[in-house]
Amino acid sequence: MKIPYSKQDQYVYTALRFFSLVVVCLLIAIIFQLFMASKLAFDEFGLSFVTDDFWNPVDDEFGALAFIFGTVVTSILALLIAGPVSVFVAIYTNEFLPKKIASVLGLFVELIAAIPSIVFGLWGLYYLAPFVKNFLAPFLKKYLGFLPFFQGSSFGIGILTAAIILAIMIIPTITSVCREVFKSIPNLRKEAALGLGATKYEMVKIAILKPSFSGIMGALVLGLGRALGETMAVAMVIGNNPVISSSLFSAGATMASVMANEYAEADSELHLSALCYVGLLLFVVTFFVNLMARTIVWNNSRKSKR
Amino acid sequence: MTNTIALEVKNLNAYFGDFRAVKDINLTYHKNTVNAIIGPSGCGKSTYIRCLNRIHEEVEDASVKGEVILGGKNIYAENADPVEVRKHIGMVFQKPNPFPSMSIFDNVTIGPKLWGEKDRTKLEEITENCLKKAALWDEVKDKLHQDGTSLSGGQQQRLCIARTLAIDPPIILMDEPTSALDPIATVKIEDLMNEIKKEYTVIVVTHNMQQARRIADYTSFFVLGDLIEHGLTSDIFTNPKEKKTEDYISGNFG
Repeated sequence: MKIPYSKQDQYVYTALRFFSLVVVCLLIAIIFQLFMASKLAFDEFGLSFVTDDFWNPVDDEFGALAFIFGTVVTSILALLIAGPVSVFVAIYTNEFLPKKIASVLGLFVELIAAIPSIVFGLWGLYYLAPFVKNFLAPFLKKYLGFLPFFQGSSFGIGILTAAIILAIMIIPTITSVCREVFKSIPNLRKEAALGLGATKYEMVKIAILKPSFSGIMGALVLGLGRALGETMAVAMVIGNNPVISSSLFSAGATMASVMANEYAEADSELHLSALCYVGLLLFVVTFFVNLMARTIVWNNSRKSKR
Repeated sequence: MTNTIALEVKNLNAYFGDFRAVKDINLTYHKNTVNAIIGPSGCGKSTYIRCLNRIHEEVEDASVKGEVILGGKNIYAENADPVEVRKHIGMVFQKPNPFPSMSIFDNVTIGPKLWGEKDRTKLEEITENCLKKAALWDEVKDKLHQDGTSLSGGQQQRLCIARTLAIDPPIILMDEPTSALDPIATVKIEDLMNEIKKEYTVIVVTHNMQQARRIADYTSFFVLGDLIEHGLTSDIFTNPKEKKTEDYISGNFG
């Protein structure tokens, strides 16, 4: 049965429906345009675009594998650094600090997310890159030099530096989602653990970390989604050289960074189209990663409400 | 006669910040008895019992003054470790709180595992033993590896009792253990208390006077953080010395 609306309600309803539709249409339009723009490159290279690792604008030959590699490696590495840090910070603020101090610390962590990407890039270029070149890279080489990841010498900019910058940028996301997940655990369960003679550390392990596993996973995937698409800061410190190297000291390029760097100077139509194709790939990947994260977080919050 | 004393409370005060929630309590608990604590809501009975295993102090801004003597030692002494205290004084909470994403077996054995018991046969023995004592064995013996939270509320609470029994504490505290349960599950828990007092000393907070009457050997009556009266349950309910106690048990306030 249709509920009869008053005149005023009808106007409001129409307006609401219009704006909601606009948002949905925007998404569809962007996907469609991206698709059309990359059609030329798609017709030329097909799906082998994803598996070819040469990128040569001079000869109009394009393959995106090096960028996919750069994006995946920097993002995963960033996650490996940021994940543990974020989980520790979330536990420390929630469980070990008085509420007032915890909220101040939480605010500081979230303020990291407010720093513009370009500022991170500049900081990375002027402070982090020299630090990696002069201290971190020699240190890693000295102690872990037998691994293929730490071969050659570092010029400061490269995969490792980009990953560290990314890690710092996704810490606020992961930390705040983890804090929410941990907050949803009833006090009663923490007391159950303490009441059995668990130390605080054991209580964290049994009553907090174990039941939060899927929630933490969701937070990590959400962080991953952010890391995959991050452009400016990465473009400034990664070196922008589309090579696939096992060494983390080597320069690289990501899907996002190549678009930022080359779009303004692309003069052939195929080059432009290839960049759009890269953009389409990036969109598809981040879309599914975000979808996955939301599903995990949503399932988790539904479960903890029961 | 000292060897029959299980726990002695001396001048115990509990605070939330500046607010004094429990005032100068002096009580002695004897071995193998069930001791009920009754009183109107907000009388500090939960806070009081939470002082007895040092879990009160885990709340932010909460503090305790006074002594609680267990086996000749003050659990609030400078050098006493709260973690150690809680291994000797177990606690069952108001709502069943088994650990989710842990099987029934893991829930029961978590205490012994925390102190390094790894022997599988030993752990299985403990599980069977404690679940039997908690009158849950017959209902769960074929599904020990299911999630603890898959059980009904009453079963979960008995699982929590088994979990506490597994650490084999001489004293077991229960904070309104049946307030979230239906009458049938309540009867089972009450029978259980009667059974386990053969080996343990039980101190139980209850909002239900009839329950105190049914299960307790001794009853204490609290109002606004003060201990009004303590004595044999039969005396408290039939022949109270204090006017306030009489008013409360006859339903005139509370």
